[in-house]
Amino acid sequence: MTPLIYDGTEDTPKVVLDRDAEEFLISGRSLPEDAFLFYKPIFRWLEEHAKNPKKKTIFRFELEYFNTSSAKQLSKIFIFLKNIKEEVEVIWCYQVDDIDMLNSGKRFEKFTNLNFKMEVLPVIEDDDFRIITE
Amino acid sequence: MFSSDLEKRELAFELYDGFKDSDLSYVYHGHFSQKITDLIIMMAETTMNQAGESARIKKRVFSIMVESLQNITRHQDVVDEHQGLFAIEQKDGNYFVTTVNHIFNSNIEHVDGLLKKIQSLQAEDLKLYYKEVLTENEISEKGGAGLGLIEIAKKSNNKISYHFHKIDDVCSYFYFHTCITPREEDDSDDTELVRIDNIFFLHQLLKQKEVQLIYNGIFNQENLINLLNIIENQMEGMGHIKRIVFNMMVEMIQNIVKHALRNDERKGNPGIFFINKKNGMHVLNTGNYILKKNIDEVKSKIDYVNSLNHKELDDYYNKCLFDFQIDSPKESGLGFIELKMKSSDKIRYTFQDIDDKKSFFILQIYIE
Repeated sequence: MTPLIYDGTEDTPKVVLDRDAEEFLISGRSLPEDAFLFYKPIFRWLEEHAKNPKKKTIFRFELEYFNTSSAKQLSKIFIFLKNIKEEVEVIWCYQVDDIDMLNSGKRFEKFTNLNFKMEVLPVIEDDDFRIITE
Repeated sequence: MFSSDLEKRELAFELYDGFKDSDLSYVYHGHFSQKITDLIIMMAETTMNQAGESARIKKRVFSIMVESLQNITRHQDVVDEHQGLFAIEQKDGNYFVTTVNHIFNSNIEHVDGLLKKIQSLQAEDLKLYYKEVLTENEISEKGGAGLGLIEIAKKSNNKISYHFHKIDDVCSYFYFHTCITPREEDDSDDTELVRIDNIFFLHQLLKQKEVQLIYNGIFNQENLINLLNIIENQMEGMGHIKRIVFNMMVEMIQNIVKHALRNDERKGNPGIFFINKKNGMHVLNTGNYILKKNIDEVKSKIDYVNSLNHKELDDYYNKCLFDFQIDSPKESGLGFIELKMKSSDKIRYTFQDIDDKKSFFILQIYIE
């Protein structure tokens, strides 16, 4: 299966879905204008993956921020992960001071009953945000 | 009755109304760091590109912006409580750049003299005067030699005006206003283009209402990203609050991008966004047009989330999160719930009558 890889941008997350490398990752910021459209290929990929999954799928979420329309799409990702017959583990990362992000993870855990592991990320320096300079 | 407990005449409407003849207005009021000035320039670049401006006018607007912003950053540290202001406005193809910064009263005579001299000169003489000052190299303490002002006058065909307003015995505000017309060799005396009293009024209003940032114009994803970058810089070091403001801005502005009524052919929906402070809280405000027939639906959505307590709100969020009946590029059904969850108060709103078909929808979120 061809890996699905997107570089992160200012408003869309980095996505790595790679069976051979056993890497399943969504990280960064997710606030696209049309989250519905952005996540569509990811669902299609996960659907294919679920047909013939590896022994274990470890899916890592390292999100810094997501908007409500992305929240909806994330909940769909979990539905797709639920459909995988083999073992699935979700690693939900959050920055130590970002309680909202931790709570979002707990929310998804509670409503999907997937196996979640919460992981604290080191705090990013406050002035260390991304600016595009040309 | 539409609104909760808002003042009679909404600040959002007041500001929108004040800008209503302009296609774009962007105002920044606060501390100017190097990063912020870079971002302001980037923002102007995005909007000018979207408007399809010619390279020639872009170049002129840029050089005027750069000089004006440098003028603020050089002089702002003297007395920090009197915050500077930068405004860019576009109207009928003309650009207006305005700055406000403070100046020591003892320097007014010098600056006033310089500007009077500049205003008296024709284009050719202005070039000569520029060279003259350059070679004399009479650098002032703060590093300027009036060259910036001459440069602005050159680039704007001398369409400048200014005003000093006394703060106290030590300082005054220096208002400096420039107009850039698309016609390069334009020596016509369009004095009506220069509206310094308008800016003076705006500055007073922004100070009084503690407004930090206003964006009035077309909203799309690109402008949202630019505004977010500016806010992240402006709120540097404010950790948790910054995160919530960021969060709320995305929801509120994407609301305009996706749902506001478009009343012309431009690429995006018109509206206004601004942040101010009230009773120590940050207030995020948006205003946009809405069809009257849609008011009831929006109203009932907001009233519903406003009526829920913490636990009910949480349950409602969960229900909507996994409700895939509401799931389209336009709608996740979560926006207002999230706004209510993260704000420190009820969601406040009001609908201002415009005409038979449309109203102006104002939304306010308080963050503690």
